[in-house]
Amino acid sequence: MSVRVSPFLRRAAPVLLLLLSACATEREVPSGSPAAPVPVVRPPLAPPAQPQAPAETPPLVTRPLPAPPGGYPKSIRESGAGTAVLALARQAQESRAAGRYEASLGQLERALRIEPRNPFVWQALAETHLLLQHADQAENAAQKSTSLGRGNPYLESGNWRLIAAARQQKGDGSGAQHATSRADELSGGLSTTP
Amino acid sequence: MARLKSSVLRWLLIGLAISFSLGVVALSVYLVQLDRDVRERFAGVRWVLPAQVYAAPLEIYPGAPMTVEVLRHELDRLGYRRADDLLGPGTYVAAGNELRIETRAFTYWDGAQPEARIEVRGSASGLESIRQLGSDKAVELMRLDPMLIGSIYPSHTGEDRVLVKLSELPSLLPRTLVLVEDHGFEEHGGVSLRGILRAAFANLRAGHTVQGASTITQQLIKNLFLSNEQTLKRKITEIFMALLLERHVSKHDILEAYLNEVWLGQDGARAIHGFGLASHFYFNKPINELRPEEVAMLVGIVKGPTVYNPRRRPELVRERRDLVLKVMAEGGLIRPDELELALAQPLGVSAAGTGGAERYPAYIDLVRRQLKGLYREEDLNGEGLRIFTTLDPRVQEALETRIVTDLPELEKSRRLPANTLQGAGVVTSVEGGEVLAMVGDRNTHFPGFNRALDSRRPIGSLAKPFVYLSALEQPGRYNLHSLLQDEVVDLELPNGQRWTPKNYDRQLHGAVPLYTALAKSYNLPTVRLGLDIGVNRVHDTIQAAGFENPPELPSMFLGAIDMAPLDVAQIYSTLAASGYLTPLLAIREVTTKDGQPLERYSFKLKQTLPEGPVYLTTWAMQKVIEFGTARWAVSVLPAGQKFAGKTGTTDDARDSWFAGFGADRVAVVWVGRDDNKPVGLDGAAGALRIWGRLMRDVGARGIDLTPPASVEEALIDPQSGLKADEGCAGALTVPFLVGAVPSEYAPCANARESTPLNWLKDIFR
Repeated sequence: MSVRVSPFLRRAAPVLLLLLSACATEREVPSGSPAAPVPVVRPPLAPPAQPQAPAETPPLVTRPLPAPPGGYPKSIRESGAGTAVLALARQAQESRAAGRYEASLGQLERALRIEPRNPFVWQALAETHLLLQHADQAENAAQKSTSLGRGNPYLESGNWRLIAAARQQKGDGSGAQHATSRADELSGGLSTTP
Repeated sequence: MARLKSSVLRWLLIGLAISFSLGVVALSVYLVQLDRDVRERFAGVRWVLPAQVYAAPLEIYPGAPMTVEVLRHELDRLGYRRADDLLGPGTYVAAGNELRIETRAFTYWDGAQPEARIEVRGSASGLESIRQLGSDKAVELMRLDPMLIGSIYPSHTGEDRVLVKLSELPSLLPRTLVLVEDHGFEEHGGVSLRGILRAAFANLRAGHTVQGASTITQQLIKNLFLSNEQTLKRKITEIFMALLLERHVSKHDILEAYLNEVWLGQDGARAIHGFGLASHFYFNKPINELRPEEVAMLVGIVKGPTVYNPRRRPELVRERRDLVLKVMAEGGLIRPDELELALAQPLGVSAAGTGGAERYPAYIDLVRRQLKGLYREEDLNGEGLRIFTTLDPRVQEALETRIVTDLPELEKSRRLPANTLQGAGVVTSVEGGEVLAMVGDRNTHFPGFNRALDSRRPIGSLAKPFVYLSALEQPGRYNLHSLLQDEVVDLELPNGQRWTPKNYDRQLHGAVPLYTALAKSYNLPTVRLGLDIGVNRVHDTIQAAGFENPPELPSMFLGAIDMAPLDVAQIYSTLAASGYLTPLLAIREVTTKDGQPLERYSFKLKQTLPEGPVYLTTWAMQKVIEFGTARWAVSVLPAGQKFAGKTGTTDDARDSWFAGFGADRVAVVWVGRDDNKPVGLDGAAGALRIWGRLMRDVGARGIDLTPPASVEEALIDPQSGLKADEGCAGALTVPFLVGAVPSEYAPCANARESTPLNWLKDIFR
């Protein structure tokens, strides 16, 4: 069966196609196919950027993210964690209080296997590493907590304090100072301290 | 004459007396020596205890994303027995969406968890509640005893065993053993004269050997200290040693030693020693859960495991088992009704390779290699260490199923000769870097060449995300929407050769946005981009992601880097974890055989790649699936969830790769041929098919779409790559590093006049 196409439509087809492609979603647009010539914009030829800041320090350029509805959670109980993770976090706390730091780490890691992206668990992990004098692990876990906190200032200020303590442990006085001032900055912006 | 006679007699008698005395002295010396020998050797018997390797324990808790049906499957895998009532540890009762389980006690690295009777309720979405039976106490979470998945036994003897203590065994097994093998064990002094006479009589009547007369003590002596040769001298030594051993060692210790020493079967190069291991090997469960007919079978095959091989000659073994059962009933060990019930049972031996041990050769291989640097060979082979791994049997099962079913399907649909494709795969956890599953051969139980670790192949376009990431680390020069030129590349290499790579489709596509070039896996823009930012930077990025010393050549942009699937999993897991490198590990904890913790391998992480650019790269890798080379995966992945990945194909389609991840799982799949001939499958047609279904089957979660603090999103006009607003049709939300959003507005933004063209556009919106 053939479809009769009016001469007008036939002439207009390329235009319509072009329009359709402009209206379509991202999927079809950027194919750069010859049918839809796109204005060529050359990548800005700015001078090569400075080498990145060393990866160990989190980017300083952050923006205040819009707080989620209901505000940022201040503790793991407000973080939407499930009962199993809450139970493990509590057990880890008890183990830590009893001086059983390795057991505490183990419980927190069990919690992370269930909720790998819970930033409060990562923060607790950093705290425990700090008690075990694992300064590097403490700093990295605190940084991970900040990453996953997605702008949560309560978490972030706590993490900077942990990082400050970890750097102190390593004998990095100026690094510690820098971290402390970041923590103060963030705490200053909060109505209540976490 | 008489004098002569008597003097000869006297001398004869004296001679006899002297030689008798000498004989007695010699015998005494011999016996004293043998006595010391026996004592020392028995005291020195140290069981060769191979390290026992366990899978990760399954955590059950309210909210766990698994149905009751899945949990039941797990219980079956662990050798739990379904019954109408809870009959002790290792049993369960199933009723609809409810399971009652009597769990086994287990000593974990952080302490013992006792047996428990629990009730689990679930729904289609997962487990809903767990409570302790009898007390109504809610259970927040608990671990099921982990599956024994193998052991690290010495390769020269192949001797494998799981040690058991007589005091911890139900008495049925030792009593049956004594009844069948050595009726007079409790009375005799190591050798049974009655037994010898009875055997001799029986053998005489039959005209050949039908009955042995060796006591358990003699058998133990023979197994422990003597060779297998059938000589009179050896037999005499055995008898003397048995008599001497009984003088020093209690019946209890002799029996316990026997239970652990006796050879009960062969699994390739591995010798199954002792009832503890035999119970796992034949019935996939701990020895104290054996039922009478299972006890009878194990005792029955002591007679000769080569002949009485339950997997090869089930009828013969069943006959033998039934005979033992009748002896048990006659001896009063079981009641007549128990006998009837037991006789009615099938052998119940698990199929070869379905029991825990030796089921996952590729994974055990990985564990072995990771242990190698950590412990001495003899400690691993002999000290009975307990190795707790990260293997997730459910994920492993899913990976195996995919490889086993999808490879033949690919061969069929592509009209390739059967059994020519090979495959390998790895699944890891995103934040912890735990290796959850590994397959190194399409014959997943074959302990041969482990392609997941040892097959290093060029990775093709799997390298591209690292080129783009290197570029996105320079926000002043590149963003996701930067237009790249898809134009011919003609490069003179340092060695004078010319390099003129082509696109896979042999076409040129003009100017394409950076993310599209990655999504559609265009080679030429990638090479131009790589050349612009420099080989050394891409090299550094790949190294930071976790692969040591990639080659510093432009061909690296297109994947001229040889990697094993596990290497790929490592570098992709760094992307999946937002730039945090976590060395992939298969081992969580190691304890002594008594459960004393020796070592725990903590989550180790270090940020080696900047989070913002990694987020942007991951965003572009989602487009690979949304509209790029891996579009097919949309049809199998859960709707509404985003996954990121990349296809990889090498020259002439010799290797078909796919690597990708969601929020919690990274998976890498390789398909190719061992002879490195073209397979005619690109990454999308081959490995992707396995990857997509695999991610679905393991219930992988989609990527978290909240950008990190170093990233902001902006509306972009796809035509110009400039800032858009609601006035622009088909505007697209694109993430940028903070401060790198184009400042200029696109022509369509804020400048909408009522032109006929706009009117027409509005109709189509």
